[in-house]
Amino acid sequence: MTDTTDTGELTITRVFNAPRELVFRCMIDAEHLTHFWGPIGVSTPIENITIDPRPGGVFETIMVNDADGSEYPTKGVFVDVVEPELLSWHEPDLDILNTTTFTALPDGRTEVRIHQTNLPAMFRSPEAQAGMKSSLDRFDAYLATLV
Amino acid sequence: MPTALVHPTVTDDELDAMFNALADPTRRAIVAKLTTGDATVNELAEPFAMSVQAVSKHIGVLERAGLVSRRRSRQTRPCHLEPDRLTPAISWIEHNRQVWGERLDQLEQHLHDLQRSTVPSTTVPSKEHPK
Repeated sequence: MTDTTDTGELTITRVFNAPRELVFRCMIDAEHLTHFWGPIGVSTPIENITIDPRPGGVFETIMVNDADGSEYPTKGVFVDVVEPELLSWHEPDLDILNTTTFTALPDGRTEVRIHQTNLPAMFRSPEAQAGMKSSLDRFDAYLATLV
Repeated sequence: MPTALVHPTVTDDELDAMFNALADPTRRAIVAKLTTGDATVNELAEPFAMSVQAVSKHIGVLERAGLVSRRRSRQTRPCHLEPDRLTPAISWIEHNRQVWGERLDQLEQHLHDLQRSTVPSTTVPSKEHPK
């Protein structure tokens, strides 16, 4: 009865002011990945990155919290690798398929699109996301009343 | 604290149950209502064009996901939101979005640094692209 018209997967798109080959390189070389893989407040030392960019190759990282040293491992296996256009890897723990495409734009910039599929149903439709967001806003408001 | 880092320590089954529970608009509305305080099934059913029985069924799903508990003490058995249980689901979503956002911000910076440091230091730029 839930209206699960899978309107698509989670997509994140970003345009970089750099040639496609270089952007692609950054995503498959530990030397580059170490500069940006960990989000803010988290580092991913180069020795914590194992990447073998070919179908069946592993893509594993251990991110480290700068504040307390907590470790956050990620595990993936490459499904498709087409240099310099496409990278896809599967994260078995969460059963997420990440597909990253690299498109050379006419002006020399590069568009990177990250698709995540197999996400929990929650993520799939914009309605679901909007609904969750509004629930969360109220949830925040509720939490504010507790303090 | 750094926000976007943790895969919260819940099992996949628990996450699945939570996401399934929250994937339904009626159940999200019930959760939203419960954030304002405990409510009986009748009270929860009011805004919906739905039988109390149908709403009970939704509450059952939320209960099994651990998101809602029901007081045994009173006849009406009001429903109570377990906000702590919601946190992992929220964290997970935020985690996912935020990590990629920050990662791409940093990639942008890295690409900028790379191009700034290589272009001036290498000698003749015209030789770099023979085609």
